[in-house]
Amino acid sequence: MASVARSSALLKQVAAKQSVAASGLRVAAFHTTSRKSLLPPLPQHIEGTGTHNDSTATLVPCPLTYLLPLVNDPVQVPPTSPSHGSYHWTFDRVVAAGLVPLTVAPFAAGSLNPTMDAILAATILIHSHTGFGNIIVDYIPSKRVPKARKLFTWGLNAATVLVGLALYEFETTDVGLTETIKRVWKA
Amino acid sequence: MAALRSSSARVLAAASRPAFRPVVAARGMANLADGATHSNHASDGQSPKLKTFQIYRWNPDTPTEKPRMQSYTLDLNKTGPMVLDALVRIKNELDPTLTFRRSCREGICGSCAMNINGTNTLACLCRIPADNSAEMKIYPLPHTYVVKDLVPDLTLFYKQYKSIKPYLQRDTPSPDGKEYRQSKADRKKLDGLYECILCACCSTSCPSYWWNSEEYLGPAILLQSYRWLADSRDERHAQRKDALNNSMSLYRCHTILNCTRTCPKGLNPGLAIANIKKELAF
Repeated sequence: MASVARSSALLKQVAAKQSVAASGLRVAAFHTTSRKSLLPPLPQHIEGTGTHNDSTATLVPCPLTYLLPLVNDPVQVPPTSPSHGSYHWTFDRVVAAGLVPLTVAPFAAGSLNPTMDAILAATILIHSHTGFGNIIVDYIPSKRVPKARKLFTWGLNAATVLVGLALYEFETTDVGLTETIKRVWKA
Repeated sequence: MAALRSSSARVLAAASRPAFRPVVAARGMANLADGATHSNHASDGQSPKLKTFQIYRWNPDTPTEKPRMQSYTLDLNKTGPMVLDALVRIKNELDPTLTFRRSCREGICGSCAMNINGTNTLACLCRIPADNSAEMKIYPLPHTYVVKDLVPDLTLFYKQYKSIKPYLQRDTPSPDGKEYRQSKADRKKLDGLYECILCACCSTSCPSYWWNSEEYLGPAILLQSYRWLADSRDERHAQRKDALNNSMSLYRCHTILNCTRTCPKGLNPGLAIANIKKELAF
């Protein structure tokens, strides 16, 4: 509910100038816990309405104005990319559905043979990778913090490769995932 | 948080409403003359049923002043049954500076969408709970830029609506040169979709839309997208699907279903989004 305390810049662009200074106090009235400003709301910006302290922009006739999006124009439609859209989503669901029998099988069979155990470990790894990837896409917007987004994406890739190597090592030279859980459970 | 009221509470509340209210309580919109003549003596013979409304106030003319909650107390015996009736009465009789949008007062225009007691809903469709004396809290729609008091800025919402091309697109003329005909089964697919009034209650209750409203379209716009994808007369299904097929526009929906829970028209944007995902998947 922090957001209800934000002011519109569309009608009163003056508000934006003072809002940065006032926002801390303003929001505090509606919070009982301390305020953690990780990604505080920005002053409102709507394409086609000019920038906040640029009130003269609309007065100066400029041919470029006709090319820029206006306030009644639709938002930009992003380019089609199934690998980030439908293929990615379908792949996520297939992996998640595949994990169900792979997780149930060891209970039925007692333990898994090394191949199935390796498949289970790899599927869990992919599942976690796409899951964490979704969290990064949700909470680290590339438009707002592109560097942090890149850092986290590559951090995730590095972590996945590291865990992948560790699981490979574990599967090939040790007892394997399900057998370990079984032993820990009975220890 | 928005839209956390359980559906069972909603059903119970509906069941506990009296089928016939006394004539005094069923009175319609308030007006100044009524208030002036009756406000001083508790309505004839009845003890006053006082209810306090806490309403979010922020004035763009004094932008550095903190937003505040202002309390107004009304006698429910002299107020209509809905929250909008109370708001209109407050504006007429207590405080003419209170600002909110309203138009049809019957849940068809979507103007009076606001956050009432923690749930996004239409003030004109939301009853004032008469059985308890708890204060009602009224905020603008959550996570919106506020224009004034209870008026949110929905410019981005409308720009996003425009981006999905919400109109019939086809090239082939109808065989008989008259209207584009549809089978009854095809028409039935649009039920539950065309009723949406774009009040933005669902979109502003969606955490995904809170975090990524610049790129994610949100439940209301996706419901409208599906309304055109499900239309047998439309001939741009492939282009419509391509426009949604990226990481942000559609797939930031994580099936939280706040949209379905909060919809004041009883529609199911969550189901519509699931149907789009299914159509795109295979």
